[in-house]
Amino acid sequence: MDAIRTTNLTKNYGQKSAVENLSLAVPAGTMFGFLGPNGSGKSTTIGCMTGLLDPTSGEIELLGQRFTADSAAIKRRIGVMPETLGLFEPLYAHEFLAFVARMFGLDEATTRRRVTELLEALELTDTSKTLSEYSTGMRKRVAFAAAVIHSPEVLFLDEPFESIDPAGVSLMKQWLRRFTAQGRTVFITSHVLETVERVCQHVAIITRPGKLVWQGDITALANDGAVVCNGQEFRALEPLFLHLTGERYTDLAWL
Amino acid sequence: MNTTLIGQLVGLRYKLLWAKTRSRNGRIALFLAGYLLLVLVIGLLTTGGFAAAMLAVRTGKAEPVAQGALTALFLEAVLAANILGFGMGAVFADTELRRYPLTAADRRIARHLTGILDPFWFLFFALELGLAVGLYVMGAGSFWFGLAAVLLLFAANYLLARVVGLFIDQLIERKGGAPILMGLIMTLAILPSVVASQLRKDPAMVAAVVQRLQYTPPFGAAAAMIHPGLPGVHGLAIVITWILGLAALLVWLEKRPPLRQVAESVKIDWDSPFDRVGALFGPRMGPLVGHWLRFYGRNSRTRTLSLISLPLLAFLTFQLGRQSKAPHGLFIAALGTFPMVTFLGTSRISVNQFGYVGGAFRRYFLLPIHPSATLRAASYAAVTIGASMLPVALLAWLLFSPYPFDARMPLMLLCAGFTGLFVLHGLGIWVTLFNPRKGNYNSHFGNDLSLGGNIVLIGGMLLSMFVPQWLYRARPALVSPESWWMFLPLPVLALAFYLATLQFAGPVFVTRREKLLAIVEGRN
Repeated sequence: MDAIRTTNLTKNYGQKSAVENLSLAVPAGTMFGFLGPNGSGKSTTIGCMTGLLDPTSGEIELLGQRFTADSAAIKRRIGVMPETLGLFEPLYAHEFLAFVARMFGLDEATTRRRVTELLEALELTDTSKTLSEYSTGMRKRVAFAAAVIHSPEVLFLDEPFESIDPAGVSLMKQWLRRFTAQGRTVFITSHVLETVERVCQHVAIITRPGKLVWQGDITALANDGAVVCNGQEFRALEPLFLHLTGERYTDLAWL
Repeated sequence: MNTTLIGQLVGLRYKLLWAKTRSRNGRIALFLAGYLLLVLVIGLLTTGGFAAAMLAVRTGKAEPVAQGALTALFLEAVLAANILGFGMGAVFADTELRRYPLTAADRRIARHLTGILDPFWFLFFALELGLAVGLYVMGAGSFWFGLAAVLLLFAANYLLARVVGLFIDQLIERKGGAPILMGLIMTLAILPSVVASQLRKDPAMVAAVVQRLQYTPPFGAAAAMIHPGLPGVHGLAIVITWILGLAALLVWLEKRPPLRQVAESVKIDWDSPFDRVGALFGPRMGPLVGHWLRFYGRNSRTRTLSLISLPLLAFLTFQLGRQSKAPHGLFIAALGTFPMVTFLGTSRISVNQFGYVGGAFRRYFLLPIHPSATLRAASYAAVTIGASMLPVALLAWLLFSPYPFDARMPLMLLCAGFTGLFVLHGLGIWVTLFNPRKGNYNSHFGNDLSLGGNIVLIGGMLLSMFVPQWLYRARPALVSPESWWMFLPLPVLALAFYLATLQFAGPVFVTRREKLLAIVEGRN
């Protein structure tokens, strides 16, 4: 079964197209990498998939059911870590996590236990600071904790590893592997291709404006194998990405 | 001094102003209309200043009238800047300016130069200039001395407003600062009445007070406008001395590191009063209302405004009541101020509920609830805080009212209070949806509300205060205790408006969420 499926998903802002006829299928129980250059529509796609934005056209299915912005029951089964983190700055980490947990239907006792455990596991025990006083990495950990606190079945993580120290990244990867081993699904966007190569089984690459250019299994890359695309063999994700997106870097003589 | 870069920054300030209007619907037309309106207002104010000068010369009291007019303008500018926040917005923060190759002194000059170029200050400048030109045309002053006096007074006025703002800002950051501020405001509010009564008792004191006031910037400027020559130079010297003193004080205050109240360790509190009050709204809405109560309660501006709203409105009630010729003047004044008690404290966020949440706004749409519940919960929290002020205000009325106890009066006041509560918070929801603005949650001062927000706040305050007075003049029976029964339907109608607003605003909120998101995240 596919945990996430989009059919001809399109999102326009006025005349400008951000996502164009995007059809994706994310198998349940996998770690799925969603890649693309800056401004290619990755966050817009996640926005549509999580109910933040209304698609202009097309359909979204999550966990086998049609999903819209009003699908409260499905929202309860998904977790999201937005690119902008979406933290309430004046709150303390435990207050923020408790609020999210209660909104997702956890009872008071479970909320307290999980908040305490998450804060300890993610080394967020300095409770004298509000979220606005946290460093970028700490804020990211809080946003990650908020995404997983209710044990969702599908997890959307928009650039989760950037700004987090190696120990934090390692812990998160360990959790995510266990998460997928239990049959749950993780949908990740990231610019760190080496990390995606190591943790994801499937990848989709889009280019501006939100057009899918490739989707496939990349497990071979983690085992020193290769991925074949357009008749060419690629032994790493970076050359495949550059080949598909046509990204080029201009050389400035004065720099 | 890097004048080129400072000039570029001043230019950038206006480019940003232009860019803001350019990115909205009907922006250019609006900007032009606003600009023409500003020019018109400045023209009117200049004429007003000119008329004051004519009056001053014709009555043969040029200097006292100029002194009075300039003092009033000077104080009004300081009060308007600090209470309503006009002309106090930081265009560029020091941290932003540090990116450019500017020295500390250059950064300070750039910040204050862009600050003083706020259109708000031009309005006061126009009035003062009108007065100087009027005095010159009527042959009661020198043009060049007048112009110099106006320019120097303008600078002194801006500096004093900044010093007062910064002083309050730093006072609030200190432990116990808010009650001290409240005490200072009450003292300032009561002082004029006390001084006036003392002066009436002892007229000889008037001359002594006027003598002391000669050393204030408005009196110095008035002397320079009217007496060219040595007394005029003396007047200008007084204003320059003030400018130097205020500039030094401003630099000193700006250099003082902000003293924040930092908790050494915070124990995880699982049972906060916010959540307990929120729980009254049921298991579904409880966490959301508790969250919004916390959001309001943690905001220093909300706390300060809630704290000062009661003494401030008590003072207004007293002043309006004293001026009224009605037999129940104080009661009529209270009918006007009670609605504001329920709104003033939370007003800043109530008319711009999402303007201070920034990127967290998107979080509301990820929650497994209908998004309109967020809007409702935010409003419930504000209404709860506003309603909690009513019993305190009522108790104050019962304790200090000079009238014999009449149950009809507190009932009418409660009706007026609840009417204001529901109408103003209902209007706040519509402004939140149609005229929001990205604001800074942590700023203590500065007016960061949209036009709609200002109209509801200032217009609501003026209307609620003056409608009972107008009613008394038109139909005195309408605001007398005998008409108590006529007040009973008012809160019911206001509640109906509020409930209808909640009903209709929910779908609008969902439809407009992408626009709101762009605004609150600063992308529009």
